Amino acid sequence: MSLDRAIESAPQTDATPRRFNLGGWGTGLTLLAVWLLLIAATGFYRADFLSHQTMLAIAFTMSIVGVLAIGQGIVAMSGGFIDLSQPSGLILSNLVIVRLAEAGMPLPVLIVAAVLTGMAWGFINASIIVFAKLNPVIVTLGTNFIGLAGLFLVFQLAQVPLGSDIHALGRTSHLGLPAIWWPMAILILIVGFLVPRTRYGRRMIAVGGNRAAAQARGISLKATRFATFIAAGGFVGLAAVLFASSAGPFNASSANSMQLNVIAAVILAGISLAGGRGSFWMLLLSVGFLSTIPTSLVFFGFASDRQLIFQGLILVVAVAIDGYRARKGSP
Amino acid sequence: MTDTAAGPAPEYVIPHHPIREALTGSVASIAFTFAVVVIVGLLWVGPKFVSFGNVSIMGTFLILPLIVGACSGFALMAGVVDLSIGSMVGFSSALFALLLLNGWDVWLAGAVTILVCLAMGSITAAAVVGFGADAIAASLGMLTALRGLTWFLVGGQALFAFHPGLFAVVNQQVFGLPLFFLLAILLTLIATYVATKTRLGRHVKAVGGDDRAAARAGISVKRIRTFALLLSALGASIGGIILVGQLGSAALATGTGLEFQVYAALMIGGYSILRGGVGNPIGGALGLLAVAGVANILELKAISPYYVNIIIGLLLLAAVLLDRLRGGDAFE
Repeated sequence: MSLDRAIESAPQTDATPRRFNLGGWGTGLTLLAVWLLLIAATGFYRADFLSHQTMLAIAFTMSIVGVLAIGQGIVAMSGGFIDLSQPSGLILSNLVIVRLAEAGMPLPVLIVAAVLTGMAWGFINASIIVFAKLNPVIVTLGTNFIGLAGLFLVFQLAQVPLGSDIHALGRTSHLGLPAIWWPMAILILIVGFLVPRTRYGRRMIAVGGNRAAAQARGISLKATRFATFIAAGGFVGLAAVLFASSAGPFNASSANSMQLNVIAAVILAGISLAGGRGSFWMLLLSVGFLSTIPTSLVFFGFASDRQLIFQGLILVVAVAIDGYRARKGSP
Repeated sequence: MTDTAAGPAPEYVIPHHPIREALTGSVASIAFTFAVVVIVGLLWVGPKFVSFGNVSIMGTFLILPLIVGACSGFALMAGVVDLSIGSMVGFSSALFALLLLNGWDVWLAGAVTILVCLAMGSITAAAVVGFGADAIAASLGMLTALRGLTWFLVGGQALFAFHPGLFAVVNQQVFGLPLFFLLAILLTLIATYVATKTRLGRHVKAVGGDDRAAARAGISVKRIRTFALLLSALGASIGGIILVGQLGSAALATGTGLEFQVYAALMIGGYSILRGGVGNPIGGALGLLAVAGVANILELKAISPYYVNIIIGLLLLAAVLLDRLRGGDAFE
């Protein structure tokens, strides 16, 4: 399968000499240019697009997708391909938040509980992957299937109590941007800073780039798999806090539509699904670009059905570019 | 297969034990599972479970998955999974219903629908085969795009395009069973013959098993994979047309989640969505029958359909574990 082929060809990337060395910023510059082009084009078509209201709408969309993309990025970069069970994990954590908020628990308890729930969900996935030695794509496909069905059995519709701390969190803003936007941006900056600069981050990249070489240097693949999936689950839990605070009533399938945007954001950011490559900082740009599209389309007068068409085609193009890059062997 | 070896090939005699293969091969475990489902059904539900009436109901719902599964199975065998089949069924049914509503001839509408679906499928094929995109992610994108197009075509909640002639043909009963159910089983048998006994089928399996080795053996990997992805789109488009004949309408949600339903069953039946080269259309069909049997038992017992999803999910994980124990690649 092409994933495996990509893994085999990925480690050779550094061997190719490059004429223009942008120091890995090529992806970022392209993304930024495309994003600005989209904003400029929409603003040119409808001047009222360039408003604070638009910025708020984009920032809200960015928050949850961005935090989920960090988790997805960790899984992809460490060679775990994709975590398709994020929707289940997100709704599970959300349900925990709602139940605890209904019991009158304070916000910090909710956050800790949500993160722990997400980590527990990641632990379940990692356990199956490691002990049954099964491919993460299939395992998370299966656990998502089971998880969503189980959640449908447990509840129909839920929402955090109106007037609670967490409900208020989704309605406050700092410096002109929603309060839930800031945790996302800060987390992306921190993770993007730490991953290439710490031992654990480098180990993660090493495993994703070439697992045999990483293992030969004494890095435990099992420990990496557990660590990455549990960490990714923790980010899903954090995303659940942001989701619960800003979303209205939700059911078990409410998070399904986000899955695709998250995967597209990770791929566009240059974090190859083949593993071992990419920078988390690029997520700010790719998530921003993808979150601008829905609002932008509305201003162009397209109905929401057209958004799905665009989103889908963008993903097809993004993975085509990703595959092309992997095949050419240049990052 | 193309003989590229120079000089006389060393003579390896591979012992052929049809009986042992039947007991240990990929179809064996699913045949066993299927038998267990039937026995559980007989014990729990009673003889009603295998009555013509009940089998006929199951058969009606199985027409679409069987056709889609037989065609998409070739994409799995070629090592390129096509996740967009469910949306493709929805898109095909919406387009076909829309054309019928505009007074088009059934044959013309069907032909145009199939051509448009093949064009959409060729976009996925171009990304996957031409650019080397990851098949899962690329077809996930196509899934979304087609869902959006379906939404655009349907407009409201559903398109009602009842065609009396088509309805009569599609819902015809032969020997107490739906005609198209029998045709779908015939298609499965043809697919099995193509997959196991013809040069094309062996090329598909060779490409899925190891594309580099297949390329060295002179097989055009690109051509085989493009063929497999287009066949998958063809199966889904025909399935969508038959669905309009069955129901007389195309809804916004038509085909949603069909890909999971079909692939879970196909994986239980011996296919793998992560490595090509394995699988057998008969095994896939038995997988679909087994899952439909489980769903039917729970339905007759008035148990929530969400339990069916939980069971399918668990069966899926059990199936891939079995696939690995049978010789599939272990992850790490």
